[in-house]
Amino acid sequence: MIEEFNIMIVGVGGTGVLTLSRILGHAAVLEGEKVRVGEIHGMAQRGGSVFCEVRIGNKVYSPIIPQGRADILISLEPVEALRAAYKVSSKSIVLMNTHPIIPPVVSLGLARYPSLEEILEKMRKFSSKIIARDFTELAKEVGTVRVLNTLMLGVVYSIGKIPLRKESIERAIEDVIPPRFVSINIEAFRRGIAEGQGLVKEQIS
Amino acid sequence: MSLEEIISLDAPGTRVLLLGNEAIARGAIEGGIGVFTTYPGTPASEIADTLALVAKRIGMYMEYSTNEKVAMEVAGAAAIAGVRAMTAMKHVGLNVAADPFMTLAYVGVNAGMIVVSADDPSCWSSQNEQDNRYYALLSGVPMLEPANPQEAKDMVLYGLRISEELKLPVLLRTTTRISHMRADVTLGPIQRPSLKGSFEKDPQRYVPVPAHARRLHIALLEKMEKAKEISEKCEFNAIIEGEGTSEYGVITSGAAFNCVMDALHMLNIDVDVLKLGMTNPLPEQIVIDFLKRCEKVIVVEELEPYLELQVKMLAYEHGLNVKILGKREGLLPRFHELSPDVVLNAICNAFGIKHHSGNSNTMEVYEKEVKEILPPRPPILCPGCPHRAIFYAVKEATKGKAVYPTDIGCYTLVLNPPLKTADILFCMGSSIGTSCGLSKVLDSAIVAGIGDSTFFHAGIPGLINAVYNKHKFVLVIADNETTAMTGHQPHPGTGITGLGEKSTAVAAEDVAKGCGVKFVKVVDPYNLEETIRAIKEALEADEVAVIVARRKCALLATRERFEKGEKIIPYKVDPEACKGCKICITRFGCPAIVWNGKHAQIVEELCIGCGVCAQVCPHNAIGEAK
Repeated sequence: MIEEFNIMIVGVGGTGVLTLSRILGHAAVLEGEKVRVGEIHGMAQRGGSVFCEVRIGNKVYSPIIPQGRADILISLEPVEALRAAYKVSSKSIVLMNTHPIIPPVVSLGLARYPSLEEILEKMRKFSSKIIARDFTELAKEVGTVRVLNTLMLGVVYSIGKIPLRKESIERAIEDVIPPRFVSINIEAFRRGIAEGQGLVKEQIS
Repeated sequence: MSLEEIISLDAPGTRVLLLGNEAIARGAIEGGIGVFTTYPGTPASEIADTLALVAKRIGMYMEYSTNEKVAMEVAGAAAIAGVRAMTAMKHVGLNVAADPFMTLAYVGVNAGMIVVSADDPSCWSSQNEQDNRYYALLSGVPMLEPANPQEAKDMVLYGLRISEELKLPVLLRTTTRISHMRADVTLGPIQRPSLKGSFEKDPQRYVPVPAHARRLHIALLEKMEKAKEISEKCEFNAIIEGEGTSEYGVITSGAAFNCVMDALHMLNIDVDVLKLGMTNPLPEQIVIDFLKRCEKVIVVEELEPYLELQVKMLAYEHGLNVKILGKREGLLPRFHELSPDVVLNAICNAFGIKHHSGNSNTMEVYEKEVKEILPPRPPILCPGCPHRAIFYAVKEATKGKAVYPTDIGCYTLVLNPPLKTADILFCMGSSIGTSCGLSKVLDSAIVAGIGDSTFFHAGIPGLINAVYNKHKFVLVIADNETTAMTGHQPHPGTGITGLGEKSTAVAAEDVAKGCGVKFVKVVDPYNLEETIRAIKEALEADEVAVIVARRKCALLATRERFEKGEKIIPYKVDPEACKGCKICITRFGCPAIVWNGKHAQIVEELCIGCGVCAQVCPHNAIGEAK
């Protein structure tokens, strides 16, 4: 049995954050683990910052990951990774999509969107194990930006830290994703695993 | 397996992943609930949405009622007539339903009845974070507080049993972190609902005229004495024993219990925990016995010191010396939801424990160096949202100089720049009542905005008031043909019921006319010129004027077009024609339009081709992409 394993998933409403948390939660149940997933629904979903917290293990009760205790942070958007920075520590692995979604307040000139260098520099104060890449482009290569979430799950899975079997995750994808999109998401997940193996050597020491 | 299959799966012992609200829906199915009613509201909505998937097939009646008051009455009457019933609402919904709820406690029920109140600490999707546990005290109704989806489901079944034993409705009080927690749940057997009721006339009980009500109040208090005995034996009130070395204790319930357990795990200390699942009435003897074995106790709960005051009262009444700490000592806040970190600090402070986490300066770095560079990303109206067009028209027609009472729905988001056409809000339907008050005392024009579902829910009495008492303002009913914010539930205007059956669609314009409004116009907000002209005409009227701006929610419309296989043709900015005035960004503000440094640009993946920006552009620089 797992004692405690925490995965934080962040992004912008409507980009697949909730779906990814459901896949992980379902995979954990398939393996007989205790699981707690914290989700945000309702008004917060309309194009705003969205975050989900997946917690697996028999010592876990709350769906809220305590500060610094996320083992993995998956961020579908760069600035949203930074917004969740307090959840990670030097032990955490951060997987960051570098493709930004500019909030309207920035277009209106009421706020500034930090540069990627700035985001990474700040992020390194929390964890040095950061894998950053434009996964949106990679998702388009697979076929559609809609598979960004499962693609990034594959990348993070290839690091080998998620304590669930690959078969369970693929089965969870089949169960959670609508039937007509299952095969492309499985493809994205596997492509992520393949891409991840190279990236890990490159970016994590 | 789809949710539809999982939720009605007749395979006891199966473990599945369910959202707290889905688990409550499952509890309703396992408990043979015959009548389910609701008005959608986050964080309660998914209970009804889940049941809507299967109700017809499993023989349950479910409805999206016009509002929570009606929902309470429908379910209450069914339970009186001997059919198990449930009604679910968000915390502020219980305010709307408070009138029937309070007297239903006097009248009581015959079959089991569960009232679900989903509270929202931290106001994730709400206008306040009131603590509805006080409704249990106020009404004299037993209350159960689950700490996870499994308990949420099991408490529905337990609640039905004690509801029938006491002949009282039972309040099942959840919070966002329970309703929207997804967790492993073990399924139990399913009971087929019975919809056949019977009603034995008994006016002394069912018609609380003063003479009857005085007796019924005493009977209710007697029932609460019996409920105390039930609470002492309730399986959900339990002590999680430490190793027996500690004289410290924690008393907690619901979501706060989870934070306590996480904090104790992080601290790795030996403390006894009294977890309360039935929190009205409290199991007084259990609490007293727990207090007796402790030197010091901290009460950990979200929002108000509901348990804390009662625990302190019991300690006083029994002359106990134990030190009881909580909110009144400033150890825990009376606002927002708790987190394991907040509870960890409170426990350390209460018991004098020093804790050094590996990342003690994490929050400091975050507060000092990260927060300042984070651009805010609040929720926004979707690309192509008809509300954006409506309130752009409102602002143009009034030159931004009116006062804009607003209401509860997606369109409340027009409070943000650039539209800034939401000025005052209390609750569902308040746009109309506040307009009456403001128009009486202000010289400026008043243009109120209300959604279709909200209008049917609580807008109509306000509109009748405006006609009858001669108030003068413009009411724009932003009719997107659905209840969008909570997940696209049907409402009286849609002509589709919760069971998916066709019924009479109630048109907002007919209701307005029926209320006595003389100026009523229906417009398509995607036609800006028509909409602006109608608002200007309405402003000229001598009395309350109503404009129904009707256009289906963009999310729903796009989904339907996608399913039909229709192609969505996005719009495009002609870089040559764009003069860089940025009106499309700084005055209209569709998130699909961005500034690329030289000219406006439409993000193709986001644009749904509504074409309103093409009408906003003064230089004809926007058109359909070829």
